[in-house]
Amino acid sequence: MSLSRSPSPQRGGGWSSPGLNTPYNSGSRRSSPMRAYSNGATNNVTWASAQAKSAEVKGYPAFQTRNQGIFARYARKVSSGMGLPMFAGANNKDYAEKEKLGRGRWASGGRPSITNLLRIIGNNLRRGKLVVLIPFCMVCGFLLYILFILTPLNRLYNRSTYGRGGSKFVIILAANQGGGVMEWKGPREWAIERDSVRNKKKYVQKWGYELDIVDMSTKKKYAHEWRENWEKVDLIRAAMRKYPTAEWFWWLDLNTFIMEPTYSLQSHIFNNLPANTYRDINDYNPLNISHPLTYPYLDPISLSPVGDNKPDSINLIVPQDCGGFNLGSFFVRRSVWTDRLLDIWWDPVGYEQKHMEWEHKEQDALEYMYRNQPWVRPHVAFIPQRKVNSFPPGACNDGGENPRFHYKEQDRDFLVNMAGCEWGRDCWGEMYNYRQLSNRLNRGRWERFKDGVSDYFRKRREETQKRKEEEERRKKEGQGQQQG
Amino acid sequence: MHFAYGQQRKGSQPSPYAIRSRPYWLRVRRGPGQLIALIVGCVFTFWLVSRWTGSSSSERIPPGTPPVVLVTTIDPDYKESFVKILTKNRKDYAAKHGYATFFPSTQDYPLDEAPRSWARVPAIRHAMTEFPHSTYFFHLDAHALIANYDLSVEEHIMNKDRLEKIMIVNIPVVPPDSVIKTFAHLKGDRIDLVLTQDKDGLSQNSMIIRRGEWAKYFLDAWFDPLYRSYNFQKAEGHALEHIVQWHGTILAKLALVEQNIMNSYIKGSGKNAAKDGTYSNGHFIVNFGDCDKGSRSCETEMDPFLEKVKKHRRSDDE
Repeated sequence: MSLSRSPSPQRGGGWSSPGLNTPYNSGSRRSSPMRAYSNGATNNVTWASAQAKSAEVKGYPAFQTRNQGIFARYARKVSSGMGLPMFAGANNKDYAEKEKLGRGRWASGGRPSITNLLRIIGNNLRRGKLVVLIPFCMVCGFLLYILFILTPLNRLYNRSTYGRGGSKFVIILAANQGGGVMEWKGPREWAIERDSVRNKKKYVQKWGYELDIVDMSTKKKYAHEWRENWEKVDLIRAAMRKYPTAEWFWWLDLNTFIMEPTYSLQSHIFNNLPANTYRDINDYNPLNISHPLTYPYLDPISLSPVGDNKPDSINLIVPQDCGGFNLGSFFVRRSVWTDRLLDIWWDPVGYEQKHMEWEHKEQDALEYMYRNQPWVRPHVAFIPQRKVNSFPPGACNDGGENPRFHYKEQDRDFLVNMAGCEWGRDCWGEMYNYRQLSNRLNRGRWERFKDGVSDYFRKRREETQKRKEEEERRKKEGQGQQQG
Repeated sequence: MHFAYGQQRKGSQPSPYAIRSRPYWLRVRRGPGQLIALIVGCVFTFWLVSRWTGSSSSERIPPGTPPVVLVTTIDPDYKESFVKILTKNRKDYAAKHGYATFFPSTQDYPLDEAPRSWARVPAIRHAMTEFPHSTYFFHLDAHALIANYDLSVEEHIMNKDRLEKIMIVNIPVVPPDSVIKTFAHLKGDRIDLVLTQDKDGLSQNSMIIRRGEWAKYFLDAWFDPLYRSYNFQKAEGHALEHIVQWHGTILAKLALVEQNIMNSYIKGSGKNAAKDGTYSNGHFIVNFGDCDKGSRSCETEMDPFLEKVKKHRRSDDE
């Protein structure tokens, strides 16, 4: 018989001989209890184990290899006060313990670590040890800061439906708008596209939304010539297929710039839809649509100026500019109603009769449907234009600056839409200026401080220069008078 | 620290299930306060769950609501006796099954120069306003009669299994060669519109619509002024064929059934019946087609049917 390992002391005292199949607690064995190394690190009683045990009895260690520095000793005290998880045998002046397969060494003292942690916290709360609590809270706070502000966990939280629900929002950004396949983009167009896309990318990354950049030019190659420039509907439908769990889809033209990336869509609009939108078009009605409908054959909801007035029934949110609906920046919600609207939006009969008249294509068609098909109205809400679609002074400027349409810096409008800039205005210039403005408005504290300092010095410099100039002028005048 | 020899010692074999002391939060003794908190928590959870599920529950239908409303538009040019025949026919049938009838005038609706036959579209919408809880709205043209009072709309046509059996799938929507075909895998309870098809196209003279948001969409889209002003040759009939073929959200709710189910043409009706679409005894509906054209008279043609139905009813009553 060969033993696979050396015999070891056993809990009930005595030595086990693994090769022999004897019951352990037969009682016929040696009865004197064996001292064991306190944490059971070895299976043998060794010199080291005896030493440690005697140290325990004496109350202080005979020799130390660790905890020699003052901090270490202090820390040791703190940690012992906190009642860190003890090794199983630490205050177990019991028998030597043999490690048993599958039971682990912690089994005898054994609570799971979370329980331990809870116990620690509980104990300290009860004892009211501020010394312990304050650093503990600081550590926790710091950890939370790292987790939620500095790391992608923050983004995960923003995205998740259990967090802020950012993945429920998709931004559809129309690239290559208006330019066909054959139309070459110049450096300015590229720059506009780059800036606009970067702006939205940053925004969606911050809030965990989806960004779907759609190429308006590729569609054109395949589309029926009749439907030229009617891609919005198809692209929204494609986006709905692409992001099957998203709820709201925000269409954005390329010439838009999100001025305030710190506004989330949820807090800016969707957390309180009734307050941020209006159902009754009579609030602002540039198209003079008679509302509500008065045909007596319609149901009460279709006749009501506000539909059923429940936020759940809003499926389309459109801003109105000086000329009516504006589809440069609007929201649609995934719903059966939306499916129907997208389906009926383009119809060959309507198109055939109206395509010469409807120069704004989808926009005119939508206005037409809103006017003529009663089922549409109860599900459309309007949003004050400057909430999602502020205009630069160049657009809608017939009546001069109008607080209904035009961007105002002091109000910190959310988004600027440089609508119509391709007709006689400088798209790139506007984009550049708004980008700079947005950066300046949203700079951090440190930058603000730096700018403040440099502004102060610049002002002083300018003032001294002015004074100098004035003095020189006076001198010259004085000389002239003397000469005269 | 020696133990006596015979002392009960701890066995070295682990007990079959490791005994663990209960975790901290379970070791707290339960006082009455905790019990109350537990109950409040349960009630709160129940309230939350019931609120979530409650919001999606279907609408409440008041008792006594007719399940089916029969809609026929009456032209003011019709002779009074003819109108009497029509209304009596529908009312008798409705009374037998507990349905309601609705007879608006074609002049009630703003048609803007469009042919009067368009009035049927807003008329159905109107009926849905008047009967906001009824389920089915059965539009029957003035040139058709109900010939078999025993058949109910629900059992004969709209019942889920029945409808799945009788709907004709995967055929061109507009015969003979439309590339758009009816969907092959529709569920009976998802169908909102039941139509028939004769040899020349869809027939809007006998159709059943289920009330709901879809019905509003369908009727409003159909009644669009651009269709009315487009001069479709067959007016609202062609407009219907148009929207059914161009808009998938409408086609997906449509079921076509054989003509003999709900739109049999009488012999010599002046219309081209589909196969097996000619009226014979026992059919639900008899359609007289162009009975107002030429030398024909709807009234005289309908008379024998009324007699037959009357006799049938009398024998029923006895």
